[in-house]
Amino acid sequence: MPLSSPQGNATRKRCQPWLGTFVEITAAHADDDLLRRAFGAVATVHERMSFHAQHSDLAALRHATPGKRVRIHPDTVSVLRFAIDLYRRSHGIFDVAVAAKLVASGFLPRPPGVDLRRMTGTSADIEIVSDRDVILHRPMLIDLGGIAKGFAVDNATRLLIDAGMTHAVVNAGGDLRVVGETRIHLRDGDGAIRRSLVLSDAALATSANRHTRRQRGGTTWVPHLDAQRMPRPIDHAISVIADECMTADALTKVALVAPPEAERLASTYDARIVPLEPSTGADH
Amino acid sequence: MSRRSTALAAFTALAALTGGVHATEYLTPAQAQAQMFPSQALTQDFRQLTPEQIAAIRKASGESPLSPELKAWRAQDGGWFIIDEVVGKHEFITYAVSLDASGAVRDVEILDYREAYGQQVSDARWRSQFVGKRAGESLKLGTDIQNISGATLSSKHVTDGVRRLLATYATVLAAR
Repeated sequence: MPLSSPQGNATRKRCQPWLGTFVEITAAHADDDLLRRAFGAVATVHERMSFHAQHSDLAALRHATPGKRVRIHPDTVSVLRFAIDLYRRSHGIFDVAVAAKLVASGFLPRPPGVDLRRMTGTSADIEIVSDRDVILHRPMLIDLGGIAKGFAVDNATRLLIDAGMTHAVVNAGGDLRVVGETRIHLRDGDGAIRRSLVLSDAALATSANRHTRRQRGGTTWVPHLDAQRMPRPIDHAISVIADECMTADALTKVALVAPPEAERLASTYDARIVPLEPSTGADH
Repeated sequence: MSRRSTALAAFTALAALTGGVHATEYLTPAQAQAQMFPSQALTQDFRQLTPEQIAAIRKASGESPLSPELKAWRAQDGGWFIIDEVVGKHEFITYAVSLDASGAVRDVEILDYREAYGQQVSDARWRSQFVGKRAGESLKLGTDIQNISGATLSSKHVTDGVRRLLATYATVLAAR
């Protein structure tokens, strides 16, 4: 039973704004309470890990004194642990500590009371001390962006599975995860839907930067930076399929700036990269 | 022609051309009311915003109301249920907000999301992608295009709209 007619029969579909995007939860035979709890799981991630939320763990980290322990939620520690691991495995391409660059180039708002020039740390300067404590050895601005969305999708999906759901989709603005089998349409960088595929008990994330470009100092900036912290504009979107949405999202970011590196990493994460160039979009 | 009706006219023209590229109705207003205020009777209390109120709302929130009509319902517990609309570059969104008796946001739910890409929907080659070119897959405009994964869509217009509604509450509803 694919979820192709979400308003049909017992299938419920709801949408709320969280994490800067639209989070849509579709589930067959879900009651109001279950949907409320699933959105609650997303809302909790928003409060802890949104760059924009005033009292988030990220706000605590950007005001941290270098070398001093900062107590944050174990979920945020889990996401940071994943991010540091991928930073090492990608030789520095995937770095959640580049937010100062993203603020300077206009993709993120400038947090109050922060001197961008001091924010020079990288993921290599994050030390995880315990399940609740981290130390930043240099000041830095962290943006968990897409992986926080992926983590929220994974949490909400697990909650639906634990409640016995066998057909569901959690979609946070393109970072999505499917329980059961569902057809997914992939939108390219120009907005066109170039490809569709059937996803079965898996996650899929898509990233693009064709419509998020800013000219600054003679350079075309996009929110995706390479290992030299320089922007890499690309016309086509890239999707990644993985077991977990957090993994899928993170690998799209590597694939946008370093395709060979992403292919190598995808195999180690048991993930698959789905390019959206028209010439390769003819399957399914 | 007001900004809202211009945007609406443009949107309607696109929808007529294409049948709407991606449109989803999540909840009817009545379903959203039942969701946000279970077992409470709501009393309709629509207001016409005066030019002075609109100016005050704009000053407080940085956002201008799209319409002078405020669609608000009062709950028995002192809370409010408000239905509002925002228009983005490609999307037209109806959403509902519930406020508690102190005027704090309790829930935001998208009721209806419609999206169209102007340049692309008028391009026959682009439209043809929806109509059965994919190995026998027939995609009907506006109905079958569900579960899209693409670059993240920003919910900024809704966030700005909620901020405007909080200013509207402070200016119009709380001042009773």
